[in-house]
Amino acid sequence: MLTSKSITKKYQGIEILRGIDVSIEPGKITTLIGPSGAGKTTLLRVLSFLEQPDSGEISIDSNKYKFPLKSNELINPPWPNVSIVFQQLFLWPHLTIRENILLPLRVKNINRDAELNKFIDMFNMADFIDNYPNQASIGQRQRAAIVRALMLHPTYLLLDEITSSLDVEQVDIILSHLNAVRDSGVGILIVTHLINFAEKVSDNIIFMDSGQILEKGGKEILENPTHPRVKKFLSIVKSVS
Amino acid sequence: MLSTFEIIFRYKEALLKGLSVTLELCAIIWVIGIVLGIVFGYLGYKFKNGVGSPLKIISFVLAGIPILVLLFWFYYPAQTILQVNIAPFLVTIFVLSIINIVAVADLTRNALSNFPKEYVLAAKVCGLSPKDTFLRIEFPIVLRQILPGLLNIQVYILQISIFASLISVEEIFRVAQQINSQIYQPVEIYSSLAIFFLIVCLPLNGLAMWLKYKFTRDISEK
Repeated sequence: MLTSKSITKKYQGIEILRGIDVSIEPGKITTLIGPSGAGKTTLLRVLSFLEQPDSGEISIDSNKYKFPLKSNELINPPWPNVSIVFQQLFLWPHLTIRENILLPLRVKNINRDAELNKFIDMFNMADFIDNYPNQASIGQRQRAAIVRALMLHPTYLLLDEITSSLDVEQVDIILSHLNAVRDSGVGILIVTHLINFAEKVSDNIIFMDSGQILEKGGKEILENPTHPRVKKFLSIVKSVS
Repeated sequence: MLSTFEIIFRYKEALLKGLSVTLELCAIIWVIGIVLGIVFGYLGYKFKNGVGSPLKIISFVLAGIPILVLLFWFYYPAQTILQVNIAPFLVTIFVLSIINIVAVADLTRNALSNFPKEYVLAAKVCGLSPKDTFLRIEFPIVLRQILPGLLNIQVYILQISIFASLISVEEIFRVAQQINSQIYQPVEIYSSLAIFFLIVCLPLNGLAMWLKYKFTRDISEK
């Protein structure tokens, strides 16, 4: 289990995270929703150990870290056991999409070419797999970034707005694949603005605003939210969509 | 009255000898400048106060002093003050190498400073070691970025190497001057010199263009 307890984080004196408690269970999909600036991406970066919180505790399975760390304490890097797909994707521009996906495996002499071929079929990537990232559309790059993370067989997968540039068909493909990944025992945390997507894919839903968790629970919180801020946000989303 | 090509043919041995000195000089300066320039550029990026700031100051000072003045200064007064006698060939290597090192270091440091950190983050979360991240992500991308500038600097070094003639290095420009003092046909002689420089510069520029085409395609995401 990947958990955080009472996580806080400040940037330039501004509180971005205020006492966040989350748990990502293996074999479950947790969806993080909330307005822009709520601290969702920061939380993902903290949970993936790309940034350290100012205080609180993060545990990955048997490894527990209390922040701030003691002066001589070192973090055992959790990557790619904990993997993250960024909103901006960050595919390496000098490598083709195929090379982007295979490089992290090749440096460790791991051959998963057959698995990649399955992903190529599944995500309809045959037409652009040997293109460079700047020759691919944003949707194609998004699929490539997801496949790069999945090919590493993470135990916990953190996805930041991965559906933002995908069409409905592609979202559906990802939805079905995420279900398969979840069923294989991977714990997934997704940041999304798509309430319908969250409704279909989630086992647990967390609503964040202003660095705090306002509400969390099962899918029912999308239908019957109790916190006034969540009610307002969801009603706006529904009226817009 | 000899034509340009007759001059080249008649004085080919002297001109080729001068050219070989020019190329030897440049080859040494190129290797020293590129290797140490990249090393200092990296150190300047890593240690901004300890190496980066002094490099910036040296770069600023060098940009303001004419190369000829530097060559003269290191050839005459510096040797008198230090009471040493150094061959003009070595003085030229020293001065032009410093210019090359500083220019390449500037280029490298700027490319590293502007390197998108997100690519390193992506490498980190994919489980790449710092060594693999440097060798397979940072270095290839930075190299692609600096390649055109790096080659331009080396062509510039070739062109300014003619200043070595003024401290008596027997390179091609000095050979041309000596031929001119014998037959006084400056237009034809310096035209032959231009041909020699073109012969050397064209393949270099061709290489620069080929490398640019091969490695520095537009990698920005639309």
